[in-house]
Amino acid sequence: MANVSTSTAAPSASLHVSVNRPNPVSVGTIVWLASELMFFAGLFAMYFTLRSTVPDEWARETPLLNLPFAVVNTTILVLSSVTCQMGVWAAERFQPRRSGSLVQVNRWGMNEWMTLTYLMGAVFIGGQIYEYAGLVSEGLTIASSPYGSVFYLTTGFHGLHVVGGLLAFLFLLGRSFTAKRFGHHEATTAIVVSYYWHFVDVVWIALFSVIYLIQ
Amino acid sequence: MKVETRLFLWMAPFFGLCAAVYGFWSGWEPVGSAALIMVALLMAMIGAYFTLLIKRIDSRPEDDPLAEIEQGAGDQGVYSPWSWWPLVIALAAAIAFLGLAMGWWMLLIAIPVAVVGLCGWVFEFSTGQHAH
Repeated sequence: MANVSTSTAAPSASLHVSVNRPNPVSVGTIVWLASELMFFAGLFAMYFTLRSTVPDEWARETPLLNLPFAVVNTTILVLSSVTCQMGVWAAERFQPRRSGSLVQVNRWGMNEWMTLTYLMGAVFIGGQIYEYAGLVSEGLTIASSPYGSVFYLTTGFHGLHVVGGLLAFLFLLGRSFTAKRFGHHEATTAIVVSYYWHFVDVVWIALFSVIYLIQ
Repeated sequence: MKVETRLFLWMAPFFGLCAAVYGFWSGWEPVGSAALIMVALLMAMIGAYFTLLIKRIDSRPEDDPLAEIEQGAGDQGVYSPWSWWPLVIALAAAIAFLGLAMGWWMLLIAIPVAVVGLCGWVFEFSTGQHAH
């Protein structure tokens, strides 16, 4: 009887082929970032509305902007997306640590690349604070004029997103250092943090073009 | 994933067209024009992601009209069975918003609670019995 019961109860192996499904964390992150896009749509709408209503403000205030400084700061943020992607490729190889010395950049693991990305993002934020300090000393504050309001609201909300990304990098590195075996859990974290970082970077390129290049 | 991909990819030019028509008729009124252009980008972003994703995954039973229910069995992804940490983060958010009404000093209480909640949540599956 034992033979009978096992042969009928055992499921046929061919029916249970595991399907390689999309990662819910990645898909969820992309859909959430799409909603973030609409948050920034509100900021762009606000900027363009005021720009079309009080164009004199723009003519008077935009010469205060330091374009060369902003170009350097933007370049640092764009390059940090490159280093972030190098970190993702290391994470996809499941390589958290470097396999050579610190100067052998081609041997770097995820931790080294993401730390570098973190530092570049922190430099960007430092540059932005320096820029704010200069503008405030010249009399442009969030309350001084409509231009000041939209300038600080748009760049400030973007800056808060970058700070959020920096916190996410800390959590990512925390997970990586906590794990004895670096696996899918950590790699997924690295991938979705990189999605967010690339998104914030692209939004900055759009903001930079609108605020500094079109003026 | 073909249906989802096409849904988002075809909506992108649709909203692009809406943005053009709206912008033309309204004399490029900023709010609606910006919003509609961004909706088109939103659709394009998800559609482009699905286009890349579809190459890396198997054809799912959901995509096959002749599939049986049991073919969907097996690994569905990694999900947290339960967690108390979102409640701690919600408490921090509640204190922070109370601070907006009562006084900024309440943020000094909210921030440590948020740090504890976020660290607990993020490291829940990296520490304790889940350490790996």
